[in-house]
Amino acid sequence: MDEPTAELLGEILGEVLQEAAFLFVEPAEEAPAWPDRVLVAEIAFESLRGGTLRLLAPPAVGIELAANMLGADPADPEAEENGRAALSEILNMLGGTFVTRWFGTKVPSQLGLPSVRLADPRGRRAAACAALARTEAGHPVLLELDLG
Amino acid sequence: MALQILVVDDSPVTRKMVRRAIGLCGLAVGEVFEAGDGVEALRQLGAHPVDLVLADINMPVMNGMELVERMSADPALARVPVVVVATPMSEQRIERLLDIGARAYLAKPFRPEALRDLVLEILGRGGHHG
Repeated sequence: MDEPTAELLGEILGEVLQEAAFLFVEPAEEAPAWPDRVLVAEIAFESLRGGTLRLLAPPAVGIELAANMLGADPADPEAEENGRAALSEILNMLGGTFVTRWFGTKVPSQLGLPSVRLADPRGRRAAACAALARTEAGHPVLLELDLG
Repeated sequence: MALQILVVDDSPVTRKMVRRAIGLCGLAVGEVFEAGDGVEALRQLGAHPVDLVLADINMPVMNGMELVERMSADPALARVPVVVVATPMSEQRIERLLDIGARAYLAKPFRPEALRDLVLEILGRGGHHG
């Protein structure tokens, strides 16, 4: 079993955002200019190896995800109310896609329940394996992997 | 007759997404009920007879696996087909779900047409295709 790569994370990030929420992203190279507060979603997984997947995005991305997933206008209060839940559900799908893609479907795997919090992204330690992307509106989206 | 459906998922966004897919998929649907976990789902099933349950697996309080087991063990609920609508999972887990009574598994994210085809196959009701 090869170690997971940033390419694998970038691939599943693009696929899930597009299929679940019609959000198109492009891989990004340079460090993003994060806003003061970002949504940080985390989900633990267990299989042949355990670890945590973490998804970081500005609140505006959560709102866009919710609007697209619910078929609502981004200005609709329903989209704003559901931004965190939308990011959480996207990470849930990313988690399932990641474990079945990395470990395969023949190996038992288990996901924890996702959690989402608002945090200051400045000064945070970068994960060894991560994929950074940018939405069409220019917002950064980062998917990180920590192996246990 | 229009289908009565119960959607079980701890994520309110996902419940709304599934509702939206149900609305878009072309099936004749009556009422769509919602529950946030297995316990709430059993309560809803006691109050509202439904033709189909669409349930997530990874939920707090009572997960989808236990919900399927409880429904299979209850003669009044065992006839209600359960489609597990969940994130991609191992073949072993899918087999276990089918063994304990789930009728089918649909991986999220999914297209409304995939849901329609699965429901028509399970219920064998071409007439519901609106």
